[in-house]
Amino acid sequence: MKHLKLYRICLRTAFSQALAYRADFVMGSLITLLSNILFPLVTVLIYANGATFPGWNMWEVLLVQSVYSMSTGLASMVLSSIVWVTMDHIRGGSFETVLLKPISPLFFIMATNCDVQSISLFAGGVVMAVISACHTGVAGIGAIGSFLLLFVAGFMVLCGMDLIMAAISFKWVGNSRIPEIFDSISNFGKYPLSIFPQAVRVFAVMVIPVAMIGFFPASALLGRLDPKAYLSIIPCALFMCFGIWLYNKMILLYEGVGG
Amino acid sequence: MSIIQVENLVKSYTTYKRGSGFGDSVKSFFKREKVDVHAVKDISFEIEEGCICGILGPNGAGKSTTIKMLCGALYPTAGKIDVMGYSPAKDRVKYVKRIGAVFGQKSQLIWDIPPIDSFAMNQAIYDIPDDIYEKRLKEMVELFDIEEVIHKPTRVLSLGERMKCEFVMAMLHKPEIVFLDEPTIGLDVIAKTKIREFISEMNRQGTTFILTTHDLEDVEQLAHRVIIINHGEKVFDNTLESLKSTLGNKKIITLTLAEPYKGETLGGVEVIRGDNAHKVSLEIDLDKQGIKEFLDNLSETVSFLDISIKELPMDMIITRIYNEA
Amino acid sequence: MKKLLHMWRECKAVAFVTYKEWSAYRTHSLVSVFVGPVYFIVQYFIWSAVYGGEGTLAGMEFSQTIRYFGASALIGYLTMDFADWNLQMLVRTGKFLTFTMRPIHHRFFALSQKFGHRVLGFFFEFLPCFLIFIFLFRIDIRPVSTGWTLLSVAMAFLMNFYVNYCLGMTAFFLVKSSGVRVMYQLFAQIFSGALIPLNFFPDVVQKIMLFLPFQYTNYIPAMVWTGSESIGSMGLNVPEAVVLQAVALGLMMLFSEALYRCAIKRFTAVGA
Repeated sequence: MKHLKLYRICLRTAFSQALAYRADFVMGSLITLLSNILFPLVTVLIYANGATFPGWNMWEVLLVQSVYSMSTGLASMVLSSIVWVTMDHIRGGSFETVLLKPISPLFFIMATNCDVQSISLFAGGVVMAVISACHTGVAGIGAIGSFLLLFVAGFMVLCGMDLIMAAISFKWVGNSRIPEIFDSISNFGKYPLSIFPQAVRVFAVMVIPVAMIGFFPASALLGRLDPKAYLSIIPCALFMCFGIWLYNKMILLYEGVGG
Repeated sequence: MSIIQVENLVKSYTTYKRGSGFGDSVKSFFKREKVDVHAVKDISFEIEEGCICGILGPNGAGKSTTIKMLCGALYPTAGKIDVMGYSPAKDRVKYVKRIGAVFGQKSQLIWDIPPIDSFAMNQAIYDIPDDIYEKRLKEMVELFDIEEVIHKPTRVLSLGERMKCEFVMAMLHKPEIVFLDEPTIGLDVIAKTKIREFISEMNRQGTTFILTTHDLEDVEQLAHRVIIINHGEKVFDNTLESLKSTLGNKKIITLTLAEPYKGETLGGVEVIRGDNAHKVSLEIDLDKQGIKEFLDNLSETVSFLDISIKELPMDMIITRIYNEA
Repeated sequence: MKKLLHMWRECKAVAFVTYKEWSAYRTHSLVSVFVGPVYFIVQYFIWSAVYGGEGTLAGMEFSQTIRYFGASALIGYLTMDFADWNLQMLVRTGKFLTFTMRPIHHRFFALSQKFGHRVLGFFFEFLPCFLIFIFLFRIDIRPVSTGWTLLSVAMAFLMNFYVNYCLGMTAFFLVKSSGVRVMYQLFAQIFSGALIPLNFFPDVVQKIMLFLPFQYTNYIPAMVWTGSESIGSMGLNVPEAVVLQAVALGLMMLFSEALYRCAIKRFTAVGA
């Protein structure tokens, strides 16, 4: 209860913070939106040149990619600050200001650093998803339900990733390129899973379940979900738990428990 | 009654050495050389409730490591810390609710919004009831005279105004102990005075302060107790008065001579500093000879136009203690 | 001659210092060694699915497309810089003033820095990835004509620098230049050819791109690297493409010089 109230106050703070630089906010949102529209460009160009992802039409692939945008947009709004803020604190040697708060460091950082600007990434994803869905059609109300379920699972994967990245930044001090590692891995979730060989598919479903970020929820909407996909909600949850555990472990290490 | 008890505190950690040239970079890419750092070697002390204790030491002496351990941000490698019955690092969440901290170089305010919003956030974090929050805020804001300041975005505030807000931020929840790390760094004289007054006032109301600083005026004006740390060890721990007399009962005498100084001893005492040919300073030890005796001796041997007699300045005392260790 | 010798010594000294300075971050390059190959794998599967059985798409064969993406990534390691970020930071913080008081042109200084920085990139990013492509992925990524490729990559190196330097100079004229820079980077991402070879774009777009700097930093050198006989909608051969690149580079250098004079005039008039 206390956490909820705190989160509300922090959100309000984050908004007023974003509005302090109105011009920047608008500009930043526009740019995010633009890059959002341009990211599926490759797909459009491939189809425009008469080629296809076998078994998928253009709007179906675009739906996968817009769901991916929604997921990452939402995650970068509420989660990705954990990476940057942790990194800055570690580099600047000011992480103890976080430890001085009588509250979980993870929650404190997350609550006080909401990236409002990423809302445009999320919104862009929603708009694109709606447009794509208009062309592909949606397989009923039940499909929307399972979409939401899988979307949440995908969000857990992103959560796990952000936490692992932040945890790495405790050790790999000042490396602002850490997020690239996970960005590159997430790429496997942007495309129909069927184009990848077996080994990659297993990885993207079981190890780091990036398929859950875009592919599975979109498939659910299209009504072409393999029911086995629900099973991979388990690795998603495990992945997030691992992230939380690792981050807290790093805080303990920072305090010098083992070292 | 002592509020902080530290026994045989030790903190050591391992870092890695980094090479520079191309050969080194390739080598250390695969194998890195370990370096053990003993930041705090074996420190024990107690601090009384309601006092202001200054912790001094040159850069890299182990001061801030000690403070971080006292705040609960670092686990000690060995030894025991007891603050108000808590073990800071182990009971961190409960413990930090009862302490406050101001770091001169690490702002806790949010840059783009007015301090009042940051305060409100802290209210939620520390779970402060509305009425207490209002009362406490009003009191401190009046003390600092910053009614208007707290409604402006933090980024437009002057350093002095910002530091005052940092103090308010850190003390809204009425902490029993407040840790200050270089609280007056970079401030002008007026802001420094204001902040020192604030600290004294809060201390009168019962707050214990632990202060690390390089500004000796802070210490002279605030501290009751002084602990000096050097090379990870405690080298001095006593009252401010005894710090002043630690090098014995000494005075600094500055003379303006009628004739240019030629390098001789004056009144049987070595010259410690010559500002120019006519102006020199001497240091006398009153335990060895009385001041009258010395002056008689001096006026017989040299002719001077002006004389001033001062206490041994603080920075001189500190410099000697640092160098001795 | 004496002046050239002096410049060479200056360049070497600055490059060496930059190299040492950035050596501290060399483990960061490990990220490239991971990220580069992963992106490459993703591209490989995407395009092998897309090509299916088809022989050519947009005038490119499958094997050429794959080599194109490899080359494009490698060229990125050899030519990237952040002269734009660096210069705008110097201007914004007023540190640029210290350069106007030194007997060295800041652009030359920055270029020398880039040399040092990229030598590091060569050893810790380019070389490992190059070897991974060849020995792990078994892709013959060797340039078809080493001479033309070297020339083309060298010009891409300079092109990228001059463009970024111009972007940095916008800080002399605008209070916040980050918008301009992010906008440029956004377009560069798409139209430099790093995302998809420009062949896939409609003809009109390809024609327009001839007059913009983007493709000269990545697409042209990558195509030269793969030894394409017909580059873009114009169907240029390798020597023609390199000449075109040289012309574009010359124009960019002139533009940069003009902008620099403008900027300095403004800087000395307004002050830091």
